[in-house]
Amino acid sequence: MDNLNHLLQGFGDVLTPMNLLIALTGVVVGTAVGVLPGIGPAMTVALLLPITYGLEPTTALILFAGIFYGGMYGGSTTSILLNTPGESASVVTAIEGNKMAKGGRAAQALATAAIGSFIAGTIGTVLIVLVMPQIVKFAVTLGAPEYFAIILVAFVGVSAVLGASRIRGLASLLIGLSIGVVGIDFVTGQQRLTFGIPQLADGIDVVVVAVGLFAVGEGLWVAAHLRRKAGEVIPVGQPWMGRQDWKRSWPAWLRGTAFGFPFGAIPAGGAEIPTFLSYMTEKKLSKHPEEFGKGAIEGVAGPEAANNASAAGTLVPMLALGLPTNATAAIMLAALQGYGIEPGPLLLTNEPKLVWALIASLFIGNTLLLVLNLPLAPTWAKLLRIPRPYLYAGILFFAAMGAYAVNGSPFDLYLLLGLGVLGFVIRRFGLPVLPLIVGVILEPLAEKKGRQSLQLSGGDLSGLLGGPVAWIAYAIVVAVLIWPLLAKLRGTSGGDDDHHHAGTKSEVAA
Amino acid sequence: MTVLVGYVPNSFGEAALSAAVAEAARRQERLLVVNMSRDDVLADAHRAADDQLARVRRDLGELGVEAEVRRVEEGSDAAEALLEVATEVDASVLVIGLRHRTPVGKLLLGSNAQRLLLEASCPVLAVKPV
Amino acid sequence: MSHSPTGTQEVKDRAQYGLCAGLALLGGLLLFDASRIGHATTTNDVVGPRAVPIVLGVALILVAAVYARDIARGGHGEAEEGEDVDLRHPADWKTLGMLAAAFLLNAVLIDPLGWVISGTILFWGSAFALGNRHHIRGLAIAIALSLATFYAFAIGLGVNLPAGILKGIL
Repeated sequence: MDNLNHLLQGFGDVLTPMNLLIALTGVVVGTAVGVLPGIGPAMTVALLLPITYGLEPTTALILFAGIFYGGMYGGSTTSILLNTPGESASVVTAIEGNKMAKGGRAAQALATAAIGSFIAGTIGTVLIVLVMPQIVKFAVTLGAPEYFAIILVAFVGVSAVLGASRIRGLASLLIGLSIGVVGIDFVTGQQRLTFGIPQLADGIDVVVVAVGLFAVGEGLWVAAHLRRKAGEVIPVGQPWMGRQDWKRSWPAWLRGTAFGFPFGAIPAGGAEIPTFLSYMTEKKLSKHPEEFGKGAIEGVAGPEAANNASAAGTLVPMLALGLPTNATAAIMLAALQGYGIEPGPLLLTNEPKLVWALIASLFIGNTLLLVLNLPLAPTWAKLLRIPRPYLYAGILFFAAMGAYAVNGSPFDLYLLLGLGVLGFVIRRFGLPVLPLIVGVILEPLAEKKGRQSLQLSGGDLSGLLGGPVAWIAYAIVVAVLIWPLLAKLRGTSGGDDDHHHAGTKSEVAA
Repeated sequence: MTVLVGYVPNSFGEAALSAAVAEAARRQERLLVVNMSRDDVLADAHRAADDQLARVRRDLGELGVEAEVRRVEEGSDAAEALLEVATEVDASVLVIGLRHRTPVGKLLLGSNAQRLLLEASCPVLAVKPV
Repeated sequence: MSHSPTGTQEVKDRAQYGLCAGLALLGGLLLFDASRIGHATTTNDVVGPRAVPIVLGVALILVAAVYARDIARGGHGEAEEGEDVDLRHPADWKTLGMLAAAFLLNAVLIDPLGWVISGTILFWGSAFALGNRHHIRGLAIAIALSLATFYAFAIGLGVNLPAGILKGIL
């Protein structure tokens, strides 16, 4: 198959001693940063992005792949050992994983998470190889109206589906969109929302937004409410699993992967839903349901695999359509654009070597992760002994360093602080953070496609309708919006008045 | 009057505990075992878990020693916490485990033992594991 | 989940109106900026640069109104929980202020004095604000970190970090 040839060539490009060293560095650094609480893979990639600025594109991508998977593994290590998930998708892992650790089975929990992540990552990457070219073929047929409609689905999905308070989700989305508007209008060259500040003319960098909202925002929030809590003991132990553990884990791994990949690939899918689904499924199918809640290994194996598969899945729309579906993908996209690489359906035709090198490095990063981190897990655990003041000071330090390095301008630091305050405000008032970041990421693309659609029809609104794909997308949007109203009319309890859980940890870090 | 021992769940703490038991017997005094767990870290290697403390209690009970086992969970400085307890109970001796540190190690990481030796108002018994 | 006593609950709710006001203000800002732009449509681009800001501005004001109504009806968003977060007490503005000050100092001093010095101030100041009391150790770590990152990234990888007044020495 043609794809296979390309992939093999990609491997050839990547498998040099120098590049392997880079991959190793990426995995190590990514895991180390991912272990730190409050930092998810998106944040890890964002904080470590400045390291890559001086590198060649291929080398940078290899580093990314390592950081990407490393960050995810680090996050699950923390959730298992310490019950402090650094990102929403790890919440589920923490349920069973931490119980296992407390029961003296930390080694098995870590092993099943690592091996499951490896298997899911590998299968996921294989799926990318198989699926992406087909998606690209389909994507090339998409016109501006279809794109616009799909993005609308993403908008509606994040603000109205996830989270219980739709008005807050919508507010969050609008704030994000407003931030996205800042800068020069790409068609007319008009400055918008720049208020005469020249540094804003290029718009506000996605990385600065992500780092400001997540890192600085988290730092400020914690500073305002720092809890002095006695340090727990971390159970230490080299990961390994017994035969029973293997028997129970591997079906869960496969099922988790099946859940994770599709959800990762659809806009606004994310990783939270598939991990929950995987957990529920494992609980139902398990021969030992009574163990759930006390440390059932399937409850770690499935969700971890789902998490990684979902991460692999997000790469499909990112590479094929240029459509980032979560913060991590958005940052990787921003990084690619920094090299002048325009992701989209044409990426595969324009830069095939780069894409296949990326995919090859995903395989390699994934493998290195397993080989390296199984023996090193106790070492990562030691990182958790760093006193909190140094931890958060370090996060702010690297955040400032990265933000400055983007443009070499102190203005970005002021911007970072402002965004940090915004991050503080959304945590304070329980606004979901995902719609905000999706709004920032997708606003330029959405507006571009929207205006192109109308341009093609000469201003007639029917230009937005496009082809059948767009109709389906619009139908979904309408359905999602009307659903609660219908539910209300039917007498079931829906809508905002009842509970407002927006802003719980599950919506924060991505 | 009480014999105060700073306990950590490793060989140094165990050595200190044995020495403290002997000392309490010699002085005919009560024993107070204190484990300090820092509150500014997520994971403290010196924290004795509940089951470890329970084991200590049990062992002391089997030995017939009149003892109290406490865990201090506030504060970020073990030496300071121990000194506070020493003042509070008017300890007659403070027993600690001693670990060899290189000069550089002492410079960079400080030394609880050194501070206790210098600042305690009562005699200090520093013990090394066998 | 945190349960604050009813007194602070009422204060919390009222603070949300502040957020609504902020949203409405943002909407107004968008509309104001849009009006400043002036009409710039062509046959190629019938919508023009003003469309989206206007739509967003109006939407924000509407959302602010609906949000305010939701608050009046007793709705509230849960402030985010976390392992290191204790929501029982009101925000510690002093710590927050110190942290912001450390951050701003870095922003102001990074170009004139260079990353090594400003980064040190940032790290040490943040650690201090967050409760670190081992001042010498904190300073040592701050200096080490700033130097290490400067050498590794700025010199090693060509990342954009200024040397400031230490130019030539480093």
